[in-house]
Amino acid sequence: MSLIQLQGISRVYGSGPTAVHALRPATLCVEEGTFVAIYGASGSGKSTMLNMLGLLDEPTTGDYLLEGRNVAKLTDAARSEIRCREVGIIFQSFNLFPHFSILENVCMPMRFAGVDRHEMRDRAAELLTRVGLGDRLAHSPSQLSGGQCQRVAIARALANKPTVILADEPTGNLDVKTGDEIIGVFHELVAEGHTVIMVTHNAEYEKEVQRVIELHDGNVVRQ
Amino acid sequence: MSLFYNLESTWLSLKHHAFRSLLAMLGVVLGVAAVVGMLAVSEGARVESIERIRRQGVDNIILHSEEPQANATGGENIYYYGITSEDIAHFKTALDNVKKVVPVVGLRQTIYANGRPTDVVLVGADPEFLNISRSENADPRGRWISELDGVTASQVCSVGVDAARQLFGLDDPLGKTVSVYGATFEVVGLLNNPLHSKLAGKYDINNMVYVEYDTLLSIFNRDALKVEADYVYIQVQDLDYLKNTADRIRTYLAGTHELPDYTISVPYELLLAEQATQRVFAVVMGSIAAISLLVGGIGIMNIMLANIYERTKEIGTLRALGAQRRTILTQFLFEAVTLTGLGGVLGVGIGFLIALLIKHTADMPTIVTPGSVIVALTVSIMTGIIFGTHPAWKAANLSPIEALRR
Ligand SMILES: Nc1ncnc2c1ncn2[C@@H]1O[C@H](COP(=O)(O)OP(=O)(O)OP(=O)(O)O)[C@@H](O)[C@H]1O
Ligand SMILES: [Mg+2]
Repeated sequence: MSLIQLQGISRVYGSGPTAVHALRPATLCVEEGTFVAIYGASGSGKSTMLNMLGLLDEPTTGDYLLEGRNVAKLTDAARSEIRCREVGIIFQSFNLFPHFSILENVCMPMRFAGVDRHEMRDRAAELLTRVGLGDRLAHSPSQLSGGQCQRVAIARALANKPTVILADEPTGNLDVKTGDEIIGVFHELVAEGHTVIMVTHNAEYEKEVQRVIELHDGNVVRQ
Repeated sequence: MSLFYNLESTWLSLKHHAFRSLLAMLGVVLGVAAVVGMLAVSEGARVESIERIRRQGVDNIILHSEEPQANATGGENIYYYGITSEDIAHFKTALDNVKKVVPVVGLRQTIYANGRPTDVVLVGADPEFLNISRSENADPRGRWISELDGVTASQVCSVGVDAARQLFGLDDPLGKTVSVYGATFEVVGLLNNPLHSKLAGKYDINNMVYVEYDTLLSIFNRDALKVEADYVYIQVQDLDYLKNTADRIRTYLAGTHELPDYTISVPYELLLAEQATQRVFAVVMGSIAAISLLVGGIGIMNIMLANIYERTKEIGTLRALGAQRRTILTQFLFEAVTLTGLGGVLGVGIGFLIALLIKHTADMPTIVTPGSVIVALTVSIMTGIIFGTHPAWKAANLSPIEALRR
């Protein structure tokens, strides 16, 4: 059984003549442990699809099976719970909490999961060490470079041992070299068995990943 | 979510927006300070006035002789005025609810001790005077004037301790004599009232010389006295009929006195009136508190809405990381309540200072009661809950993707 199964998933913004079909009904699967890129031009619906996968948004039609469980039409509380435990999310602009230390930033998802305070701190420190920031736990995001911030975001996404890691243009705000380093981190994660789905409009990354899902005007044109 | 997290994130947010938070709190701070301060003033005034009334005895009716104004007499000079012996006799015999009638009269003549004039006042008083005016005598030596002194017309007196000092200096007053208007009185006792009660709220009772009332009236003619009684305390048996008794006295005096040469005061009626005034005051205070709560609350709501607007993306991120709606709701509600709670605490502190300041500069008694502090704090926390709910609810119900897009 595939980790992720999308069955006729679509998303329409608005209704009537002004309706925007951001995502046309799409059916596809993602197997566990793969590195997937969602590729397409700007406005092609990449973020829409990723938001769907991350349960940040509800599909207009279709079903979404995550580990065999249909999560397309759940209550907000249930979707929050899945976001908390099954999904690790990474943003283009990092979205770190500027007033908290990076350790606190990584702790945040574990707070929502009700992890014990000591365990939380130990794990956050361990994750940050792993992305190479073990000696800067007390630093605030403003004291770090973009690449380092994205590493913190990756550590934060890994906090609750998610089933799938989603990243929306994670290298979009970084220079090429730093971007490649981030891709390197993803490779390591995939090698350990993680599933990573990354949105990109950079064709360069096509050769880095195991699979490309290409979107064009809301249609899946390659998968 | 842990309380610790809420505390920490609230602290960070307040610290980050310290000035703005302070401004937002200002409404609550000033409102609470005003309420605490005003309650302290009103409580001080209440306690003082009730205490003053109580000291006169709630079961008493007090008559006071007053020289009529010239315009009331038609320009004619009046020499004798006020409550008369006949009036007193009438009160003693004709009114059934009356327990005691205690006249007090001041002699308008100079007292001499060792041939030296002093400005101590000599009064003729019914021996019940101390009881009826609820004045304790702490001096164990000698004795107080008695009924028997009146029957035998003994020329003895009791002397207040402060009066004794003026009359005899440091000498032992007992056995000494004072002379006034040709009569001589032997000192048989001392009056030492630790509370320094005042006759009619004016004359310190420790600073007078007391002779039995009937004796005084039998010794001096009316030229020396002018009035037969300056004050008459009438104590009633049953408080329920006090008003009736007071009315009968009013009717009687209105019928027997042509001129307005007396006043009647009923401490119990004053007490009731005072309590009614206090109730009105409480309503006014309540309205002021409500308005300041409203103003403070709107300030808080405003700042919370601004905070949420500014932190929309952060809220979106929190939701993306798995925060529940109620987590966001409690976080922002907690922040609002912390703001108003802190504002309340600050306000109580400033209210205390205001009360102190008024006490020392305006010389008004002020009392900050625990009740007013509890009310003020409860009200500020309630303000936080009431006015924080809408913004917090708004934050909690932001759609995660809409919030993230910002
Ligand atoms: N809230 C919305 N309301 C209306 N239309 C929307 C909304 N969100 C997205 N769209 C539209 O849906 C389409 C897909 O948007 P989406 O953000 O998924 O594109 P994208 O592939 O991520 O583009 P980019 O590379 O620029 O991020 C676009 O045409 C966009 O204008
Ligand atoms: Mg996008």
